[in-house]
Amino acid sequence: MSTVLRVKDVTMQFGGVVAIDNLSMHVDEGEIVALIGPNGAGKTTAFNCITGVYEPTNGEIAFGDCIIARSHPTGKMKKLYAGAHADKYLGARVRLSPDKITRLGIARTFQNIRLFKSQTAFENVLIATHLRRTSNPFTATLHINAAEERRMRERAMEMLETVGLADSAGELATSLPYGQQRRLEIARALATQPKLLLLDEPAAGMNPQETDELGAFIREIKDRFQLTVFMIEHHMNLVMDISDRIYVIDFGRQIAEGAPAEVRDNPAVIAAYLGVDEE
Amino acid sequence: MKKSTKAAVGTLLVAALFAGVWLAERLAGANSMLVTVLEKGAIYALIAVSMNLLNGFTGLFSLGQAGFMLVGAYTYAIFTIPAARRMAVYQYYQGGIVQFELPCLLAIVLAGVVAAAFAALVGLPVLRLKSDYLAIATLGFAEIIRAVIQYDKLGPLTNGSNLLKTYPTFDTALFPFAVAGVCIAVILMLIHSTYGRACKAIRDDEIAAEAMGINLFRHKLLSFVISSFFAGVGGALLAMYQGTVQANAFKSSMTYEILLIVVIGGMGSVTGSVLASFLFIACSEWWLRFLDVETFIGTVQVPLLRSGFRMVVFSVVIMAVVLFYRRGIMGDREFSLDAIARAFSGKKRKGARAK
Repeated sequence: MSTVLRVKDVTMQFGGVVAIDNLSMHVDEGEIVALIGPNGAGKTTAFNCITGVYEPTNGEIAFGDCIIARSHPTGKMKKLYAGAHADKYLGARVRLSPDKITRLGIARTFQNIRLFKSQTAFENVLIATHLRRTSNPFTATLHINAAEERRMRERAMEMLETVGLADSAGELATSLPYGQQRRLEIARALATQPKLLLLDEPAAGMNPQETDELGAFIREIKDRFQLTVFMIEHHMNLVMDISDRIYVIDFGRQIAEGAPAEVRDNPAVIAAYLGVDEE
Repeated sequence: MKKSTKAAVGTLLVAALFAGVWLAERLAGANSMLVTVLEKGAIYALIAVSMNLLNGFTGLFSLGQAGFMLVGAYTYAIFTIPAARRMAVYQYYQGGIVQFELPCLLAIVLAGVVAAAFAALVGLPVLRLKSDYLAIATLGFAEIIRAVIQYDKLGPLTNGSNLLKTYPTFDTALFPFAVAGVCIAVILMLIHSTYGRACKAIRDDEIAAEAMGINLFRHKLLSFVISSFFAGVGGALLAMYQGTVQANAFKSSMTYEILLIVVIGGMGSVTGSVLASFLFIACSEWWLRFLDVETFIGTVQVPLLRSGFRMVVFSVVIMAVVLFYRRGIMGDREFSLDAIARAFSGKKRKGARAK
């Protein structure tokens, strides 16, 4: 089993605030890994570093054999830097933009749903097929790429069917119920043909029944598209149910890692998280 | 509606439109207000649609349209003045440096290409800016190019601050209709292509668009360059319409006029821009002319009516539109045969914007 994602010694510091502190994680091919932690622990910040929205202050992130971010403190941050390994990642900095990272094969959904508001559910998914295009602006404008256009539409429709939204294809994305909007975001992410799927709180706002269905659904798409899944989630039942491994972070630092059963019984986790945040 | 019927009805409508323009020209006479409105309206429609591509469909608030029109107008004029007349036009610059002439249509395309080239150069640094900063930077470009073109040292090429004239113009309103029609059709096809969808995604949510693998900068530049290409073509048509070109006519107020058209028509609606263009030109050239004329009823002068009052009314209109009618005439809807067929057959649409 090969490692799909490797996060090495990543620190993300905003001014004087250390949002992620020396975090190292890895996700292996075919795994479902969960990242949990109390509110404000830095989970979404970690995702933003992986997807290129933020450039880490220090550390390295690799996707397969490709380094997608590598950085060390520079400029003002040199003095301010409060993390570890300040001189481990000197040398050329690497920062791939979010669109390049998506093209490599990392797709994500957003914690605060970010659908294209003025477009239908179908169009939302259709846009995500744009990155695998072979046409250029001329051939696309003159509709010489009819075959590709048809493939894109078929693919978008297929993704909508996968998440069970085929009947709502023509609805305005924002007019859908909340749970369906989350599914639509997953369909949109799948349409980019990812190898690694990052889900940022996919069950947020869902009722218990929807949450149960979501667990089965994540397993199903994982198998069907040979995905690796890395997700942030607060619903403990869902996390314990489908994860192969769990990372727990608090105040940007990793406090535990392991199989669901181990993590559940870890005193540090209970103290920091499970004991405090009753659901 | 079936694709073949749609194509047939569409062709018929276009033919009817051109027949209507031709007829209007015959009946009303080539110098009538109606023909003026048709000609200028068609040209402004093209420019407004090109601006809508940028502001309405890609979400880039650019105010450089007059600058690119200026580049287009000058390119067209410079390369089509007959060689024999150059001595007279460039009288202060020994006939200028361009000593050949291009065919009219080729020069129109060249006008677009040169405007697009300028856009590419300007866009490289400027498109990294967002919202109001982009507006200021593009507005600055338009003002700078207007000053540079009148620079005396460029005289052999641009004739300095003197008029460019005696280049070929059109003698029928069908010509601007045909050119603008083709250009708008191309813009529509672009909007409906995968690139157009990517542009709309950028407008709706940049972060999500980037996460979907859309290279923001490349697509913004693409939209900027294409928009400027058609602004350049529109500028060339405007030069033909006016018969003379002088840089000072392309002030920022021209950009605001076009922005007004786009807003009234509806950001994100090509149909709206076209309708609003004709409406705006008809008002400013024809129906509201009386506002600028001092009028007497008997011996009493009608208050407020004097030169310039028209612009006051326009300002009030734009404020009213922005305050109470923000979505404009069409919002982001489009004219479509399907919608009309549905309206006639009384069938309900499924979903808000089902296709």
